[in-house]
Amino acid sequence: MARVVILGAGISGHTAALHLRRKLPATHEVIVVSPNSQWNWIPSNIWVGVGKMTVKQVTFPLAPIYARKGIDFRQALATTLFPEGSGDDLSPAVEIRYTEPARSGETERVTYDYLINATGPKLNFAATPGLGPDGGNSLSVCTAQHAAHTAAELEKVVAKLQAGTPQTLVVGTGHGMCTCEGAAFEYTFNVEHELRTRGVRDLADVVYLSNEYELGDFGVGGMSFTQRGFTTSSKTWTESLFHERGVRAITRAHVQKVDPGVIHYEQLDGSEHELPFDFAMLLPPFRGADLAAFDREGNDITGEIFAPNGLMRVDADYAAKPFEQWQAQDWPKTYQSPTYANVFGVGIAFAPPHPISRPRTSAKGTVITPAPPRTGMPSGIMGRVAAETIADMITKGATAPTHTASMARMGAACIASAGTGLRTGSAAAMTMYPVVPDHEKYPTSAGRDETGTSGEIGLAGHWMKLLLHYLFIYKAKARPLWFLIPE
Amino acid sequence: MDTVTESIASAPLPTEKTLRRRTNLPYQVLRFLAINIKMIKIIARGHH
Repeated sequence: MARVVILGAGISGHTAALHLRRKLPATHEVIVVSPNSQWNWIPSNIWVGVGKMTVKQVTFPLAPIYARKGIDFRQALATTLFPEGSGDDLSPAVEIRYTEPARSGETERVTYDYLINATGPKLNFAATPGLGPDGGNSLSVCTAQHAAHTAAELEKVVAKLQAGTPQTLVVGTGHGMCTCEGAAFEYTFNVEHELRTRGVRDLADVVYLSNEYELGDFGVGGMSFTQRGFTTSSKTWTESLFHERGVRAITRAHVQKVDPGVIHYEQLDGSEHELPFDFAMLLPPFRGADLAAFDREGNDITGEIFAPNGLMRVDADYAAKPFEQWQAQDWPKTYQSPTYANVFGVGIAFAPPHPISRPRTSAKGTVITPAPPRTGMPSGIMGRVAAETIADMITKGATAPTHTASMARMGAACIASAGTGLRTGSAAAMTMYPVVPDHEKYPTSAGRDETGTSGEIGLAGHWMKLLLHYLFIYKAKARPLWFLIPE
Repeated sequence: MDTVTESIASAPLPTEKTLRRRTNLPYQVLRFLAINIKMIKIIARGHH
């Protein structure tokens, strides 16, 4: 009998757990450790943040699903890895601390034969003084609860606008090394759409504040869309939407601190600015889950297994090299730890070899570069390939990973909502192939396949996003034939 | 005006016809099907 422990129950970890349970005979154990009791379809938090969906519509409790599927669920936070065991006990183990109210604070050492680290991001609000809703001066849509709080604050802004008081609403990234610019873009246009729908747009100044070098970068170095005989950059395409909707933009920005009502930021040219606001939703940068690791003798090996940002090293090429020498082959394929063959890191938890966008540093030495996005589709695929590899190792005795999925060989479909409503909504539907540009394979089209990279704006995009909402919640609930829905 | 503001100001604006098309139900139903096909192709290429 083998035991697989999965740390995290987000898109990647939950996908891995369901596939493992489906592939492995019941004699093998699948254990999920997650500090959260709820699963959250994060892409729809955008709609919670404008009051168009409730927390309940984007979350559901994990325990009943796992009970039904025969997965052992422990509501706890993983704190320490012992990949070689410790002392005389050679069983690899992970120490967890329960967050479940009935056992809160209790610790336990869970042994494993295989481990998947899918702990996702730690929302690093602390990286920017004053950032975030918990003790800070800005708002967030990163969790469903944050988004609900943000919606309530947006309602207050709308009331002030209705009373005739002009308001400045800022949406964007709260640090020079943030990722998920697509989410900030979505929230910007959902807010703008909401203000227009409510008839208060004329007194509102909507500002998009971003660490992107130019609009349309989205942390993937931008895209080129070939349509109707022309190639258009995602920069021009995105700027057109900003022009049409009257949204101001500030790019190349690193937020230094957020005081009540004032954002202080630095730009790539070294200039420093203040931006007064009435409402600010700023995303935090991400870091790893701060897992510590010790070898059998008790020596701290955290630095061997994890990168300095807390993300886990996997089968990527981490050698430092200039932007011009970055290659598609640098990106991991199997997500297996190079140190421990029974440990895998997937989703946001794996350490990317480098960004995708060109790295830039301000005149004052501040890094202002989007971190590479690892959103739903790639995260789900990584979770599945790690699960399939482990299932093959257990049931077929495979000694090396049997499944691969590199972000340089994987496309992504991104539906960026720009407003809700079955008849009035819209979204930017973008596809790209591959996520990480491959300049050797596609030398004349900025590293991407022209036929697989496209973008269009319209009501159909909104329907797509709504369809994905229901489809992925259906799948995550492991309803009949869930596995036929691709990641 | 800073660079990005200038750039936005000179970005192409959709015509009235384009804006109408973006919410035209029969046309959007067709686009919905087309986007689905595109995404299925992308998904198929990413699943080995």
